[in-house]
Amino acid sequence: MEESQKKELDLTARLMSDMDPQLLEFLRTKINSFVKWDLVRFFHENPHTADTVENIARYAGRSSEAVRTELRELAEDGVLEETQLGSMTIYSLTSDPQIRELLRRFAEASDDRQFRIKAIYHIVRGSRGNPHVSHPGQYFKHNHTKH
Amino acid sequence: MERVKTGIPGLDEMLHGGFLPQTANLVEGAPGTGKTTLGMQFIYHGIVACEEPGIILTFEEFPQQYYRDAANFGWDFQQMEREGKLRVVMTSPEVTKADLERVGGRLEELIHEIGARRILVDSISHFERLSDDRSSLRELAYGFVNALKREGLTAVLTREQPALLGDVLSPEDGLAFLVDSYILLRYVEIESTMRKALLVLKMRGSDHDKGIRQFEITSRGIEVRTPFEGREGIMSGSPRRMMDSFVQAFVRR
Repeated sequence: MEESQKKELDLTARLMSDMDPQLLEFLRTKINSFVKWDLVRFFHENPHTADTVENIARYAGRSSEAVRTELRELAEDGVLEETQLGSMTIYSLTSDPQIRELLRRFAEASDDRQFRIKAIYHIVRGSRGNPHVSHPGQYFKHNHTKH
Repeated sequence: MERVKTGIPGLDEMLHGGFLPQTANLVEGAPGTGKTTLGMQFIYHGIVACEEPGIILTFEEFPQQYYRDAANFGWDFQQMEREGKLRVVMTSPEVTKADLERVGGRLEELIHEIGARRILVDSISHFERLSDDRSSLRELAYGFVNALKREGLTAVLTREQPALLGDVLSPEDGLAFLVDSYILLRYVEIESTMRKALLVLKMRGSDHDKGIRQFEITSRGIEVRTPFEGREGIMSGSPRRMMDSFVQAFVRR
């Protein structure tokens, strides 16, 4: 292993060591992109919303292409529910109280700058392995200025 | 006869006690006239004074906007949601339409979950984007209103009126004929100040006050005041003193 890789792993370990393990796991396994972060925040704030990809994209200020896969993955991971309504595919927040509670804690923790920095670092690192994101830094700059 | 009180001082008096139960009531006005405030007050009053939980179905604003606006009047909508007395649901007309057409839809679940008796739909104007065809729009409106009544809800439906002053151009979706009551909110220019006027245009199955009343949005919500007196052409937005009209009509130049 190269020296630079070792250093990065050390930094990651330090950054993540004091994170709530459940939130860290939630972040690692379910919210591994900034689009998903935006989407879960949107559903946390609008827990009764049930809508199509196109409308959710509009509410979240993103394009349909940007949210389509992310919504499907969030549904596969149990954060959202996917329902077929006639010819429409509808997404809504899961009714699972445990996931809802995790979301609440995640949203609460996101108010803290230190937590945000760690979460952003984690997502940027994670997205390097994502073939859909060619340049994570640029992706972050253009799509996630709020965080 | 049983009435569903709006809780708005002056308006219940105009409605001879309030809306009739399980009816659809249209509130139309230009932006900023107070349609949403009137609807929120109707929902708030139902929860705090009548033990009637409510739903706000919005096609436009995020729930946070309602929480903020309501808080300005001292109404804690977030607490009401936590207590299971209120649900603020943001969705789209197409999803709502499809949802109401099936048994055990989301809206139906929510209604049963909190025992909702009142609903604010803000605003029904968004249904217009579902079709360009007038007869289809009319069918949509019929289906939607009937579904709300079927659920036993008393509904306030808001509708945008693009004209701030002058002639009122209502969309030809047949909603005015379909609803049980029709309330018009208007800006009125009097002596270089902008005031607001309220008129109950129609109330099916009940008598009502036909006067045009002034109203204000205060820190407690909407308060309907005295009628405009000694003026005519109020709903045109630019009223004249009746004496001026009399002179114009009878004095030869």
